[in-house]
Amino acid sequence: MQPQRYLGKPPARSRRKWLRMLAPLGTILLLIALWQLIVSLELISPILLPSPGAVASALSNALADGSLLKHASTTLEEMLFGLCIGVSFGLALGYSIAKAPLLESLLSPLIVAFQSTPIVAYAPLLVIWFGTGLTGKIVTTAIIVFFPTLVNTIAGIRGLEPSLTDLFRSLRASRWQTFRHLELPAALPIILAGLKTSSTLAVIGAVVGEFVSARYGLGALVIAARSRYDTPLVIVSALTMTTLALALYSLVAYIEWRILAWRRRPRT
Amino acid sequence: MSKLLAIVIIGLLLVPSAAVAQDQPLDERILLTFVPNVQFAPFYMGIEAGYFEEAGFAVSLEHLQEPEVLDLVAVGQANYGVVSGEQVILARSQDRDVVYAFEWFQQYPVGLVYDSALNLSDLGDLRGKIVGIPGRFGASYSGLTALLHNANLTEADIELTEIGFNAPEVFCLGLVDAAVVYINNEPLQIQQLADAGDCGDVQAVAVTSVASQVDLVSNGLIISRALLDDDSAAVQRLVSSFAEALRATIDNPAAAYLASLAYVESLQRDDSLLKALESAAEAQSDFLSELPSRADLAASRADLADQLKSRFDAQTLSQFIILLNTIELWDADQLGISDMASWQAMHDTLQRMGFLGASPVVLGDAFSNQFIVAAE
Repeated sequence: MQPQRYLGKPPARSRRKWLRMLAPLGTILLLIALWQLIVSLELISPILLPSPGAVASALSNALADGSLLKHASTTLEEMLFGLCIGVSFGLALGYSIAKAPLLESLLSPLIVAFQSTPIVAYAPLLVIWFGTGLTGKIVTTAIIVFFPTLVNTIAGIRGLEPSLTDLFRSLRASRWQTFRHLELPAALPIILAGLKTSSTLAVIGAVVGEFVSARYGLGALVIAARSRYDTPLVIVSALTMTTLALALYSLVAYIEWRILAWRRRPRT
Repeated sequence: MSKLLAIVIIGLLLVPSAAVAQDQPLDERILLTFVPNVQFAPFYMGIEAGYFEEAGFAVSLEHLQEPEVLDLVAVGQANYGVVSGEQVILARSQDRDVVYAFEWFQQYPVGLVYDSALNLSDLGDLRGKIVGIPGRFGASYSGLTALLHNANLTEADIELTEIGFNAPEVFCLGLVDAAVVYINNEPLQIQQLADAGDCGDVQAVAVTSVASQVDLVSNGLIISRALLDDDSAAVQRLVSSFAEALRATIDNPAAAYLASLAYVESLQRDDSLLKALESAAEAQSDFLSELPSRADLAASRADLADQLKSRFDAQTLSQFIILLNTIELWDADQLGISDMASWQAMHDTLQRMGFLGASPVVLGDAFSNQFIVAAE
């Protein structure tokens, strides 16, 4: 006789897993249905809210003529470069500040003041300082992703259990050994959480830069579409920004899942 | 019986309130672009000098981006807005039924600024030059396209670069050879930087205006088709009152500057300047009672500018000079009127830019001169 689990319905645990995986899709479909209903009932003018069909048509056209790919790849390029630069600076400065409280006293007023100013306020200046090409947008992105990485790196390094630090000291571990085998593994979950936040902010940095001046990029596409009263294309651009941010977030989440696999292994 | 009495009492109560309601000014918001600025002085004058109120309106002003202004008017969330002419054509090509009812700027305000040493008297010499533009959209882009077309050039003949609204800084850093600007404002800023020695080697700037090459329809007052059909009498009152406020601004810029103080925080409030403007406004009122000609009025503005320049530095006077420069773009024998040729020129420019789809835009529906009261 076959064991019960191989007969009839799949086990409840497997069904729940599938349901959880399909739930976001259900939410999206529900939103689209609601959107279509609002348009069909003419609750909002189609000038302000075009139908899902009109947006799908704009998406299809923008994909077919290659313009969406061109704009999206420019924004992605700015996001990735900005993320790399901003995160590198955030990690380096965050680690230094965590280890040297004097540095924090020196720099924190400057960093907090810089971070608390909305990036749109100084984005036009960045264009003047760094030129109207890619550099200005990359710098804007780097600045916006820098702070979450910095804060989480400081928190991660400072959150180490003192007993572990004492243990490494008593074992006469070198600075590199302490970093490699204690500080980095212990701080990684918090640093990666910051990186996830940064990855979603990267698109904001890139698009703010493009809003100031750009020929290509999703921000430039929004402005161009808006100035031609092509609202469906504006929505396509915005959805593409969301997709890029989600993709980058998912990538970082996957990296986190792989790197932190050791935390999921049962301790023997 | 008691019901009848109640109806009579309610009726008697409603009669005076209805009469009061007719006397109450109608709340009306006008959507403007950009930010509060002395270039919107006719609207401030309309409120402060009571032109709108006399016409039965309590006007409030809001500033938005051009596409938002146009969409809100198109869907009836606002009755009046100010946008540039090309926006009306573009919007109508996308099913926004708005009507351009008053051409506020009689001359297109965009032009090309460059170092006068560059000697670009022939626009054909632009070939190969780096030209800065806020972006490939809006009045700047339309104006440049028209200029290039007029010089038998295309965008491919120049190196066009997006610089945002940073023309003075980018130009003075030498990042571009020429920049597309609003001619009433930015050339003045660049010249001030040059005078202060902060604009590289540039000593003096030169400007080629789009208006000197081609007549394109410019900024004006828009309304929705629904409002035009439902209450053209109200539109007539508002448009006429705006025309009066505009004429008052052109005729007495010192008074208009003073009216703008309540709306534009960045205006210079130097005591001695305000006193000078107050006395100038008073003297101009007396002069207006002599019914001067348009040429006399232009001369009086020039005289006032010269007098003030001899007393105040360029920085203190800059916003007033911007107002005077802008007045030159508004002034005409007949305010508000727009002609088919300028609409056609703009339409052709947009078509050349590839901004219009296959479905034709009926230009005759895009504007109306029915609210323009003939000048005496």
